Amino acid sequence: MIEVKNVTKKYGTTVAVDNISFEVKKGKVVGFLGPNGAGKSTTMNMITGFIEPTNGQIIINGNDISRKPKKAKKDIGYMPENVPLYYELTAREFIKYMAELKMVKRDIRKQEVERVIKEVGLEEVQNKLIKNLSRGYKQRVSLAGALIGNPDVIILDEPTVGLDPKQITEIRSLIKKLGRKHTVIISSHILSEISQICERVIIINKGKIIAIDTPENLEKATKEKNKISITVEDPKDNMKTLKDKIKEIESVEFIKDNNDGTKQYMITSSSKIDLRKKLFEVLPKEEIVIFELKKAETTLEDAFIKLIDTAKEGKNNVDNI
Amino acid sequence: MWTIFKKELKTYFLSPIGYIAIGVFMLMYSIFFYLTTIGYGSIYMGDLYYATARYGLLLIIPLLTMRMFSEERKNGTEQLLLTSPRSVTSIVLGKFLAAATVILITLVLSLIYSVIISFFGNVSIPTLIVTMGGFFLVAIAAISIGMLASSITENQVIAAIITIGVLVAPWFLVDINEVFSSIDLIDKFLKFPSGLVSIADTISLLSITVMCILLTIVLIKRRKTVK
Repeated sequence: MIEVKNVTKKYGTTVAVDNISFEVKKGKVVGFLGPNGAGKSTTMNMITGFIEPTNGQIIINGNDISRKPKKAKKDIGYMPENVPLYYELTAREFIKYMAELKMVKRDIRKQEVERVIKEVGLEEVQNKLIKNLSRGYKQRVSLAGALIGNPDVIILDEPTVGLDPKQITEIRSLIKKLGRKHTVIISSHILSEISQICERVIIINKGKIIAIDTPENLEKATKEKNKISITVEDPKDNMKTLKDKIKEIESVEFIKDNNDGTKQYMITSSSKIDLRKKLFEVLPKEEIVIFELKKAETTLEDAFIKLIDTAKEGKNNVDNI
Repeated sequence: MWTIFKKELKTYFLSPIGYIAIGVFMLMYSIFFYLTTIGYGSIYMGDLYYATARYGLLLIIPLLTMRMFSEERKNGTEQLLLTSPRSVTSIVLGKFLAAATVILITLVLSLIYSVIISFFGNVSIPTLIVTMGGFFLVAIAAISIGMLASSITENQVIAAIITIGVLVAPWFLVDINEVFSSIDLIDKFLKFPSGLVSIADTISLLSITVMCILLTIVLIKRRKTVK
């Protein structure tokens, strides 16, 4: 359980994090989302006790990180952004050192080291020097350092940056698995990742939280238009006049010519109206053959960009989402 | 503290730094052994330790201390240390003791020459112990200065230059005003080689050490709020 209460961080006159509050309950995976320089890493560094907030309070499992740092820090596993490691150690030595630093009890230390090595898939390279490992493996060593001692709270700052697609899938499923027992916060600017792994998303921009919700709700809430992607065979070019035939259509946009006699269009209508049924009725009458028709989903990507843009205009969306 | 101490000591000998430091020390020590003891046909070890303290420490202390915190800061590994449940004090002390241990190893190795000398005459063991003790006090004071320098910059070279500067400057500043001799570590070593335990010098060397260690702890803690 993480409680962040009215936390502010100032560097001189610049405000990096501006009075943010949120809570993450045990067994939840929360995504921290924001453009570069939004204050994601600063917030994570404050939660882990690496830097001190200017104002406000951070409580980890009932322990204030500033007042009872030893107790609070024992419950946290942290994988920092730039994957800091001791390059002169082997992967195994590093993980063992992390176990000692984290005060993992001596009698279970060895078996803990074995467990995390297996969990993140480092068996083959465990005795190689970290400096000789590939980026993906370094990332895993760092993750292993965060998981050692089985801490309640796991904080991962951009855990999948620099990994190949296969590794990304592996790490993602590992994080999902972790989310069953631990409280997990991950930051990322890969939005599809967040919507896959996280149950809740915190969107932060310029040090302020602009939205907290489930990925699905964020997508829905920021959706204004219904878009339908359609591929048709249209020898008489009747698509151009379609707008006059169906009044609900707001626009018909030509996307591309597939060079096999079919063309792709994007049809936009207001968010309340689903035009799919109507299109199936009307288009055959116009001698247009439908090859493919599907609803274009709004993604978290759109929601994100839209929220950031709204925030730029000075509106705050926290209340209405 | 012992966790950090163990890891730091291991790192000294995983990287060449530990061996270079010991090698440089033994080289200096051997040269001065030739110049002082053999050169004058004397069995007096005091000059030997004095010369090694004056020139040898100048080379090996920055080597041992420059990376202590600078490297951690530059590589971001300080994040691992400072987010662990370990206190800043135990981290600082662990690192300090590891460097002090390297010096202790060199001192033990330096006994070889006393053994050689003992074949040609009587080496006064109490005098030797006092001399080595004084040497060690000077060394740990120098380590604490180097550690402090390392905690204020993420550039190892700058940390090393600051350390050398602080150790060397009093030698010349003394010519401007006598008062600067009070910050000259080597000046405080002068009495030890004659077998004299100078309480004043011991206290002043220890207080420099304690002060620099405390300052390092304060600086690192403070960086948490300003960083």
